[in-house]
Amino acid sequence: MIEFSQVTKRYPGGHEALTGVSLTIEKGELVFLTGHSGAGKSTLLKLIAAIERPTSGVLSVSGQNINRLSHRAVPYLRRNIGLVFQDHKLLFDRNVIENVVLPLDIAGLNRRESLKRARAAIDKVGLLNREKANPISLSGGEQQRLCIARALVNRPALLLADEPTGNLDAGYAADIMAMFRDFHQVGTTLLIATHDDRAIAALGGRILHLDHGKVSEVSA
Amino acid sequence: MIGWLRHQKHALTSSLRRLIIQPVATLLTALAMGVAISLPSGLYLMLGNLDRLAGNLPAQPEISVFLDAEVTAVQEQAIAARLKQNDIANARFAPKEEALAALSMEQDLAGITAGLTENPLPDAWIVRPQAASREDLAELSAELAKLPGVAETHLDSQWAERLQAALTIGRTSVWLLAGLFAIALVAISGNAIRAQVLGRRDEILVSRLIGATDRHIRRPFLYLGAVQGLLGGLAAGGVLALAGWMLHPPVAHLASLYGSAFNLQPPTAYEIASVLGLTTLFGWLGAWISVARALHQVEASR
Repeated sequence: MIEFSQVTKRYPGGHEALTGVSLTIEKGELVFLTGHSGAGKSTLLKLIAAIERPTSGVLSVSGQNINRLSHRAVPYLRRNIGLVFQDHKLLFDRNVIENVVLPLDIAGLNRRESLKRARAAIDKVGLLNREKANPISLSGGEQQRLCIARALVNRPALLLADEPTGNLDAGYAADIMAMFRDFHQVGTTLLIATHDDRAIAALGGRILHLDHGKVSEVSA
Repeated sequence: MIGWLRHQKHALTSSLRRLIIQPVATLLTALAMGVAISLPSGLYLMLGNLDRLAGNLPAQPEISVFLDAEVTAVQEQAIAARLKQNDIANARFAPKEEALAALSMEQDLAGITAGLTENPLPDAWIVRPQAASREDLAELSAELAKLPGVAETHLDSQWAERLQAALTIGRTSVWLLAGLFAIALVAISGNAIRAQVLGRRDEILVSRLIGATDRHIRRPFLYLGAVQGLLGGLAAGGVLALAGWMLHPPVAHLASLYGSAFNLQPPTAYEIASVLGLTTLFGWLGAWISVARALHQVEASR
């Protein structure tokens, strides 16, 4: 599903975030990405979603070569990828359900079907009773769950999560990891960047360790 | 196709919602546009009314053919025969006594004519030609002037021609003004849309991340520009209606002094539709120019 081959990412100004990374993630895998902050975890996720482009090397996602992906094709790639952000990136000018409907509006689904699916996604993350609330009134854990609902409402084949439990206390973090396990069980490919060792221990799965832009496999 | 329509509908409703939740900004932009639009359209309406006023006055041109004082009977017969030809609609002989009598009727001139010992006025023919175009009239007038026994001819449409020439300048000015204000309209719309784009930075960035195409992001702003332009056109309509309402009594008064029933004519439905269509188009154009740049800025500030 994802294949890095000698991928290097250098930012303007000379900082090299990734150096010669090669790795393969198969369809349906659950993979953790660990490492210190600044080790290149976010950059690796951004490359997969074509938010950043590789400086050299070859990266392919779902059979598409990201190096040569045209600007016009990027949106269609992203519609198959669910993104979960540490800072949630929710929109506070609209309520919970409108936040979750957004990806479906973008995909051009009809309104009734969109609302039905959005409600199902909100239910899955346990926020159904808050559907009309403004996300600003939600707790950190609830906001993270809302972000996950938005990432999943499109039923993407691939879910990328950047520090999804970074700001949460242990109870919320366990909830969210349990949610990810459910998605893994229905066949979604998950790549989760985290340094939450308890979460990794609870879920199991493959671990990739990043250190100063270089990746290494950690045997569990 | 259905998906496309759904996208359009969604973009339109979200633009309308955005206009409604910012009533003051919407109103101010519409007013600025309205004032800009009302100037050239007001001038256009004024010229139309002046044109109509000119058209109401002797629409049929007349040629006055003045005869020599020493004209012979033979020459007079030849002239009368010439005026019976096909290119003349009708011709009426006005003897000099009639002209003097008409002159004496004018109060201011009665004193002067009373003191005259002999009639200094020439005999004349008042001729209504078939031709209507200016060139044909001038040609006919010159031809008649060359007839033996004719002192001179006078084409009565001259003043109307001068007015028409002045109106032509006015009309050219309308188009010049309209062009300038169209540019102003595009600028006002572009500026308003730029503010909207920058104000919705978060939404644009998030939409990009979850798979929105450029077109999808641009679309509501284009609708916003078009609707804003339409509102500007309607505001201009309001400004002009107010101006018309205020001008109506003085114009009616002036017309009554001339014993005329002249009245200001409002624009036709076709004219209203054209102006609204154009302002909508220019609003859209302004949005289109500014949205690409503003999106680039949003992207760069990420």
